Amino acid sequence: MPDVTLTIDGKTVTVPAGTNIVDAARAGDVAIPVFCYHPKMKAVGMCRMCLVEVYTPKIDPATRQPVIGADGKPELALMMNKLQAGCVTPVSDGMVVKTVGERVEFAQRGVLEFLLTSHPLDCPVCDKGGECPLQNLTMEWGPGNSRYDYADKHHNVKPVALGDLIYLDRERCILCARCVRFQDEIAGDPVLGFDNRGRNWEIISKSEPAFDSKFSGNTTDICPVGALTSSDFRFKARVWELRSTPSVCNHCSVGCDISIDMRYNDLMRVMPRENDFVNEIWTCDKGRYGMRHIMSGERLKTPMIRRNNAWVAATWEEATRYVADRLTLVRANYGANALGGLAGAHLPNEDLYLFGKLFREVLGSNNIDHRRGTPDEPTALDDLPNILGVGAGTNLTTLGKGTAVLVIGADPEEEAPLYVLRLRGIADRGGDLTVVNSYPTKLARFAKSAVTVRPGAEAAFVQALLGAIFAEGSANEALAARLRGADELKRSVSGKPLADLAAAAGVAEATIRAIASSFVAAENGIIVYGRAAVGAGPALTQALANLALVGGKAGRANNGLIALTAEGNTRGALDMGVRPDRGPGGAAVTAGMSAREMWAAAKADTLKGMYIAGMNPAKSNTAVAEALSQLEFLVVQDLFMTETAQLAHVVLPVATVAERDGTFTNAERRVQRFQQARRAEGEAPADWSLFQEVARAVQAMAPASPTAAPAKKSAKARAAESNTAVAVAAPPASWDYLVSSDIADEISARVPGYKGTSYTSLELTRKSWGRQPNESFYYDGTSYENTEGVGVQLPALADDGKSVFQLAYREPAPAAADEQFPLTLLTVVRAYDGGEWMRGSKLVPRTVPAHVILSVADAQQLGVGIGEPVRISSAAGTLELRAQVDAGLSAGVVLLPLVKGADLASVLTGPQTRVSVAKA
Amino acid sequence: MLGEIVKGLRTTFKYLFKKPVTVQYPEVKRPVRERFRGRHELKRFENGMERCIGCALCAAACPADAILVIPGENDPAHPNSPGERYAATYEINMLRCIFCGYCEDACPTNAIVLEHQYELAYYDRKSAIYTKEMLLVPPDKGHGEIPPILQELNRRPSPPAQIDL
Repeated sequence: MPDVTLTIDGKTVTVPAGTNIVDAARAGDVAIPVFCYHPKMKAVGMCRMCLVEVYTPKIDPATRQPVIGADGKPELALMMNKLQAGCVTPVSDGMVVKTVGERVEFAQRGVLEFLLTSHPLDCPVCDKGGECPLQNLTMEWGPGNSRYDYADKHHNVKPVALGDLIYLDRERCILCARCVRFQDEIAGDPVLGFDNRGRNWEIISKSEPAFDSKFSGNTTDICPVGALTSSDFRFKARVWELRSTPSVCNHCSVGCDISIDMRYNDLMRVMPRENDFVNEIWTCDKGRYGMRHIMSGERLKTPMIRRNNAWVAATWEEATRYVADRLTLVRANYGANALGGLAGAHLPNEDLYLFGKLFREVLGSNNIDHRRGTPDEPTALDDLPNILGVGAGTNLTTLGKGTAVLVIGADPEEEAPLYVLRLRGIADRGGDLTVVNSYPTKLARFAKSAVTVRPGAEAAFVQALLGAIFAEGSANEALAARLRGADELKRSVSGKPLADLAAAAGVAEATIRAIASSFVAAENGIIVYGRAAVGAGPALTQALANLALVGGKAGRANNGLIALTAEGNTRGALDMGVRPDRGPGGAAVTAGMSAREMWAAAKADTLKGMYIAGMNPAKSNTAVAEALSQLEFLVVQDLFMTETAQLAHVVLPVATVAERDGTFTNAERRVQRFQQARRAEGEAPADWSLFQEVARAVQAMAPASPTAAPAKKSAKARAAESNTAVAVAAPPASWDYLVSSDIADEISARVPGYKGTSYTSLELTRKSWGRQPNESFYYDGTSYENTEGVGVQLPALADDGKSVFQLAYREPAPAAADEQFPLTLLTVVRAYDGGEWMRGSKLVPRTVPAHVILSVADAQQLGVGIGEPVRISSAAGTLELRAQVDAGLSAGVVLLPLVKGADLASVLTGPQTRVSVAKA
Repeated sequence: MLGEIVKGLRTTFKYLFKKPVTVQYPEVKRPVRERFRGRHELKRFENGMERCIGCALCAAACPADAILVIPGENDPAHPNSPGERYAATYEINMLRCIFCGYCEDACPTNAIVLEHQYELAYYDRKSAIYTKEMLLVPPDKGHGEIPPILQELNRRPSPPAQIDL
């Protein structure tokens, strides 16, 4: 857009056309006070706080030319002959804006006096007090006292619950509609609205259950007064008493930057921290209210050893030595292959790296995994984003027109909630959003085209897209020189007419053509795929890779694949080598057992000892619980006495994310650092520290063990040794990490791709957009500026311009008709899954009991009503659950939400299970 | 020389026949000034409710960081104080306190008042921490009204405590 030059308070600023006066003034270091305006949302001009004097050149009606005054300059006229609201007035050339002066100040004082007529003077009680825009602006621009009769003040019943998480104080509300607009324009849950008129005007929740949104907490951040407060933080502390520690949420693969606000050693609240590359200034309720578990009284405090079927508290040294002792014993009796290790993929990179090192280098076993080994997990690991992931420098916040986003087999609202906001933002800014899924998702509402495919036909759909691209000859040649096997792929795909391919996918040919052409024609293309897509098998992921490459949408910023992984740091687990098939950074190793193979081996008595860290595989899975109870030795390292921990022989408590340092790698492969916010109860150490203790003890026991390969010493470790001149026994030398950055240094030295991820580089920030001249951030509200680092995005292999790609064609598996089991059951994740992280959280009432979701047609055919029990039968077993009916679901598809409360694994045979459903 | 001795003795004899100023403390205690700043008290409203609303402004104003306030939410059926917030924990470390009276100035409800008790001695540091139970006056006395000296001068304490609770 052309630039416009104007004068604001005597300063000349040049901004793009279409900018409003408030934003333009900010560019010239002038702060215009606002209440309702928020740069992330459309301006509405409701509060009138930004009234300024705007002069525009006078135009002669006859000549349509500016009138030149006596001094040779264009004559100016006050726009509309009155003050203008800066947030809704776009700038124009030659405009002169005055934001100070008697007239403006009179207006601003007047607006504030009006706002304060009925605002209660209860700042000492109000939770916003101390970070309140209304307080700040009244101090700066407002009148010293009120002419309003005190007795005429408006009084309301104090807090009304907008939902179970957010309370509304109607007396404090200034009706700026920031919350209503956030829900409508950004979150996409239009659950708030206005009610009544005049003095009775108020905000209400329109949904049932009330304020039913996964982003409700953000409304309290942007509320410019204390009208919206969160039940999680009400009257916990005054805001100036809080100590903020930068952290990263590990509840899902978005990896939102958060700030953990502590008072003494207690968690007071969690706030989002600005990072345009990850979460802008938002976070979902899961991250905001799901951190209370770190303060839970149920947390394990001391290590415990089971002796004679009773738990006996032990010292740390005793416990780690006992673990090492027993693991060595199992290895001596049955061989290293009888040992297996599982580490939860919400653990930081440092822990995962050392876990791998403990198993591969010290215990000599390759049986490690980060998956739970449930039957619905796909057999193959998906590591495609490592090669074709979005390029380094990707910033979804900047994308809009010219961007095509294909979301396939994913439900971002449940899997990675913040992607709803971010992908919707791209669509709002003019991007093409296509949502392809086999069941309805919230994101589909914002899509330009939403396609429902039959489960199992996802790969056929993508092949059809490829077919359309080849048929139209519109393949993007950007990457052509780096592709191998393109002709074979073209032959294989084009072997069938496009109409057949479209029919196989069950989608109209015209739709396929439209989606394919918009994807190829777009300047930037991003493919987001999730759980359902990975579950659909390697044929789909291979086809997605082909699509990205043929479409030329890889190898540069803002192009490539984003996989919404199951847990917060699944990408890190894959990179750190907590997987049976590859070592750190994809190093070749002898393949070990995957989690599912471990359960089978434990059942068959060939796996004897297991080390499970940060995972609860026995939850809702009796088969695994049985396998675990057959083990000779099980050590569980976790925060709580979980179902798995109850089966263990040794339980080791650990520190939570808030109690240690580390890094996470998110879905876009951005490595971000979090810092310690509090001391752990019982001085529980970080997971990596326990792995180190165990490794040292194992090495001390068997110094000449043939399986323990002499590990290479890191340069830092050697330097530390020479400095301190400690007498070192030969093999354990490399297990001398003092702090997590020692491990991070080793990771950046040994894991390709993590080269630039030292803690120092992760702490780099860039100039934040939201900073205003008067110290407020994002025009006030409670957003936190990011001063502690935006992280580093790892380059994908495709970013290297010399890499070449092998295209391959995989025939999509044909749909198998099954008389006995006519329906397809898909497991779907739920954000509020009842996991360990929910302990002590205000979200607990939002969890639902285990149920199964049927389509309207199937429910009618079975004669099942909502809430009635049904029996699901598959080749694996049967399960009785209550039924829900989803009007958007296609017939033949059954959804099984993964929530606590039933042995869901007992009916599953794979990611897509053939079942029959009968009325119970 | 002699002149100086006479001069000195004159002063001695002058005071010899005056009433002595020495007070036999602790048997006899001198009254303190009306505005003396001694041990704090947390006052109540006349209806027996606590004046303290747990806003922690006293703790923020305290230059010695002697005050700890942990707020809580009032049970609407049995409120401790007017409004939604009250002080669940209120502690003053008398060893840290410098009796500057900033907490009084900061208090929006005139809840905290530095009263006239000055005998503060402890056998251990822990007992120097005065809890809310120790600081809070019994319901039937001490409503934290305007001190008599200010009433005489026809002045109100600063700040005028008018807040909407």
